[in-house]
Amino acid sequence: MMATDTSIAPEGETSPSGGKPLMSLKGIRKTFGSHQALRGVDLDIFAGECVGLIGDNAAGKSTLSKIIAGTHIPDDGHMMLRDEPVRFQSPADARARHIEMVYQDLSLCDHIDVVGNLFLGREMTKGPFLDQDQMIKRAEEMLARLEIRIPRLTAKVEKLSGGQRQAIAIARAASFEPDILIMDEPTSALAVAEVEAVLGLINRVKERGVGVILVTHRMQDLFRVCDRIAVMYEGTKVAERRTQDTNLEELVDLIVGKGGH
Amino acid sequence: MSTTYTERVAGSALRDFVTDFAQVLSIATFFIICLVFFGTMSDVFLTPANLLNIVRQAAPILVVAVAMTMVITTAGIDLSVGSQVAFINALAAITISAGVPWPVAIVLMLAAGAMIGGVQGWFVSYQGIPAFIVTLAGLSIYRGAALLLTEGYSIPIRDADGFLWLGRGTLLGIPVPALIAVLVVIAGFVVMWRTPYGRQIIACGSNLEAARRVGMPARRVVNSVYVLTGVASALAALLLAARLGSGSSNAAQGFELQVIAGVVLGGTSLMGGKTSMIGTVLGTLTIAVIGNGLILMHVSPFFTQIVTGVIILLAIWMNTRLFTGTWKIGKGASNG
Ligand SMILES: Nc1ncnc2c1ncn2[C@@H]1O[C@H](COP(=O)(O)OP(=O)(O)O)[C@@H](O)[C@H]1O
Ligand SMILES: [Mg+2]
Repeated sequence: MMATDTSIAPEGETSPSGGKPLMSLKGIRKTFGSHQALRGVDLDIFAGECVGLIGDNAAGKSTLSKIIAGTHIPDDGHMMLRDEPVRFQSPADARARHIEMVYQDLSLCDHIDVVGNLFLGREMTKGPFLDQDQMIKRAEEMLARLEIRIPRLTAKVEKLSGGQRQAIAIARAASFEPDILIMDEPTSALAVAEVEAVLGLINRVKERGVGVILVTHRMQDLFRVCDRIAVMYEGTKVAERRTQDTNLEELVDLIVGKGGH
Repeated sequence: MSTTYTERVAGSALRDFVTDFAQVLSIATFFIICLVFFGTMSDVFLTPANLLNIVRQAAPILVVAVAMTMVITTAGIDLSVGSQVAFINALAAITISAGVPWPVAIVLMLAAGAMIGGVQGWFVSYQGIPAFIVTLAGLSIYRGAALLLTEGYSIPIRDADGFLWLGRGTLLGIPVPALIAVLVVIAGFVVMWRTPYGRQIIACGSNLEAARRVGMPARRVVNSVYVLTGVASALAALLLAARLGSGSSNAAQGFELQVIAGVVLGGTSLMGGKTSMIGTVLGTLTIAVIGNGLILMHVSPFFTQIVTGVIILLAIWMNTRLFTGTWKIGKGASNG
């Protein structure tokens, strides 16, 4: 069923400077049991560009993000990474292709310290042992670059506030030179200054040629960092706009499903 | 009017240390209380001979408790360790009696333990069957297998002095089983504290999906910890066989409960993620000390089991209610 697609056809000419996309999704479908979470979604991600992904709760934003990050395997559809078809079987596959994600649930290990979480899955070692000193040094640099202040890097993550936890998840994804950075509602628990730091980070990584996907409910942020905005509704992408060609009212209408009128 | 910003000063390092290690400090305190109590109640308790006897007897439990700490850290459980010990214990006696050189027998037994554990771990990790169910089945299967092998008889181990030395000998005045246990404890501690594998175990127990998302081989890690309890059970079985000079299907009755109690008493959480190898050592020794102390006080052996159980329950209750999270030094009791 692609009913909504025909009534609000996505405008074709939304790519910047007509370049080739870094990553291209075609007809992505995903069903959980009998529930169609994604019903054929197309999305292009360009280098040095930020795509905003918005939509009501349960529209399928997280599911789409997780498919790009290899966490979910799509039931149907194609994914191209730099003209090469890819099929991620696991998040490790996507990570190996320099795709990093900040998960909505943050995906942290509460019983491991801050440093350990930042380096989870790519621990630095000296011989057969973890090189804790080296990791602490690098972690301090990583956090300083993002203007994140955590008093004690050897504290267990369970002892930290929601904002600090979110900051750690962001630092983890952003610090290892991703080509594609997916952020699923990264700023929901952050304070004003920290949100500013994240928006600054997005603009900085864009300059380095990273393709960013930002899922957010904070509409004001979209207009500050996104080049394009894709709107999802009940598992389909109903519209895609260049940021300069749209405005708040139009986006809100599209989100709630009044965009066709 | 000017606004001044000041920064929080960092808290004292001592307080951080105490909050991080509250659980270990409390079990250490409890352990020392037990030592002092039994030391005053019995003249024999604190003699070197008795203390060495305690560590000799605790050695097999300690060896398995180290591996059990890793299993419980992944939010799993292995109820089959006692039965595995009995099975390998009997198998070792039979193998050596059949004329297989004892060093070869040792290697075979450790391999058998690894295989048993590997199969159980495969059901838990790759087939998603709860560890409780898989290892409860194992508990029944291996005890039954041991009975079948021995037909209920005790099988003596003869003409293998080198083997028996492992259970009865001493090196520099210290019982060999205790030395082996110390080596296993040190290895377990280092693995959990500072190796990528230990980090993977903790990550899998803390947040399995997060471990998978960062590319850790989550299933393989969960499978592997059951291999470790298998190998540790085999080692414990060999130590027992060497001490008693025989193999029996009745060996290690209630062994799994002592092991699990020691681990949990030490502060490793059954919910996974939270782990303490030092706590496991202290917890296991505490239980061994209580058992030994009550016997020296001439308390009825039947009563000993009850007292041990009650003390374990109280200690764990105190640990969880008083000493975790909300407990802070210098602020009196918690209000949680
Ligand atoms: N692992 C899952 N199992 C079952 N249903 C899921 C799962 N993940 C998401 N869903 C369902 O898919 C739909 C889309 O979810 P999601 O992508 O999280 O939405 P959004 O992030 O846009 O709020 C929801 O109805 C949700 O209940
Ligand atoms: Mg979501």
